[in-house]
Amino acid sequence: MPMSSYNIPIGPVHVVLEEPIYFKLQVEGETVVGLDINAGHVHRGIEFLTMQRNFYQNLTLTERVCSLCSNNHPFTYCMALEKLAGIEIPVRAEYLRTIADEIKRIASHLFNIGIIPHIIGFDSLFMHAMEVRESMQDLKESVFGNRMNLSVNTIGGVRYNITDEQSKYIVKTLENLKKPLAEITKICRTDASIRRRTEGIGVLPKDKAIAYGVVGPVARASGLPYDVRVVNPYAAYDKLTVYPAVEQNGDVFSRLLVRLQEAAESIRIIEQCLHDMPEGPTDLGYMPDIPAGEAIAKSEAPRGELIYYARTNGTPIPERIKWRVPTYPNWAALNVMMPGYKIADISVIIGSIDPCISCTER
Amino acid sequence: MIRFFKVILKNIIQGPSTIKYPFEDSPAPEKLRGKIVHNADACVACHLCEYVCAGGAIKMQESEDHQGIDFVVWHDTCTFCGLCEYYCPTKAIHLTNDYHTAHVQADKYNYVEKTFVKKQPCICCGEPMVPISPAMVEQIYGQEGDIRGLSKMCPQCRRKILWKGGVSKS
Repeated sequence: MPMSSYNIPIGPVHVVLEEPIYFKLQVEGETVVGLDINAGHVHRGIEFLTMQRNFYQNLTLTERVCSLCSNNHPFTYCMALEKLAGIEIPVRAEYLRTIADEIKRIASHLFNIGIIPHIIGFDSLFMHAMEVRESMQDLKESVFGNRMNLSVNTIGGVRYNITDEQSKYIVKTLENLKKPLAEITKICRTDASIRRRTEGIGVLPKDKAIAYGVVGPVARASGLPYDVRVVNPYAAYDKLTVYPAVEQNGDVFSRLLVRLQEAAESIRIIEQCLHDMPEGPTDLGYMPDIPAGEAIAKSEAPRGELIYYARTNGTPIPERIKWRVPTYPNWAALNVMMPGYKIADISVIIGSIDPCISCTER
Repeated sequence: MIRFFKVILKNIIQGPSTIKYPFEDSPAPEKLRGKIVHNADACVACHLCEYVCAGGAIKMQESEDHQGIDFVVWHDTCTFCGLCEYYCPTKAIHLTNDYHTAHVQADKYNYVEKTFVKKQPCICCGEPMVPISPAMVEQIYGQEGDIRGLSKMCPQCRRKILWKGGVSKS
């Protein structure tokens, strides 16, 4: 081993976001040659806790696994239970679920779109992106009742409804978001300092993306057009047209562009939903019984494919709830993205997979 | 870079987006889920809210003198998910848009919404029982209300009356 080889610890406190993960990096000079990921700092035993609570309490518990994709957890959990019990949810409820999901996706993507400039030191764009995102937070607060945890889903439907007035308000807010979003997209595409720090950095080639089974924007930035909303439609997605954003280069810049395009696509999907949504009931009107059985359901969370597995035994408490979150395959791919790049690029590479540590370690 | 200066300039002219919170009130939207209020008159003590509460914030217990049900929401362990309101059959429980929940450490165990659902004697046998609230009566018997006073009877007496009289005779 040459004299200039040494190990440096990154984390576990405040690596990119305020979430703990510990990297042991082998560097040669300033170049990363290998890494070791050490996780488990925020393990709270939530999967075990779901087996101590009844199906309805778990709606709230699963929503609190993570904050940015909080809606997808109870959403997928409900889909798994509905599949298990053979429940058909009302059509209006499917649309309302889709609207809530896409609003969360815009807010989540705009957060990461702000974080990438923040990591490379472009803090004024970060502030601007967060200010633009604030309109989505206001939307969530006034339509759903909370800035992060929407509490939308319930077994057999949704717990909210939107009036014509609220529908107009959503359309207006989204219309006002379009211009700043286009502006941010243009800045990200053309700004020399952003491109210098993100283009050709943290490259994940297509073959490696397949080998590591990455999902979500990370996969789509490496040229894999895999989007659960398209390949395996759930909720109202089979009635909508969704165009997944795909980039070919697989670098940090591509992942940023994929998120920018997806945020714009989400606006389009919500407008479609509000236009097509039929009148009707939003829930079953009773609390369904969940029979014994097992089921699996998946959805496209802002970070990628989220899979829920549920096994029940006829009691009000599930026998097993297990989920696989998108960050799990994505952070393994850091083993490909990091070696060969400089120490200064590490945080932007980690930030580009939009890691959700609290989901992954639950 | 030039493009971004335009944004900066626009934001300077626009002024700050933040508010000076404690000195300036931030109005909450109507739908915001905040502190819980409980209407004991509408409550039928069905314990559904206690069943769905993930945080274990809601406790319903018979009072020591057996005269009613003590209803307690401990706000410090409430997650404001709103499941209790959603599943409440009479909407006796409601999440207001009051989000001001700051309080001193010494008050943490007293920071609760506490009500008392008073029992009433059964009009037949006099046994104390939780009355069916007017909201529930309306749901079951309709706008007309409960003609035969069945809602003021304990389950045993209700069964006896129905057995004697039959449903169709009323």
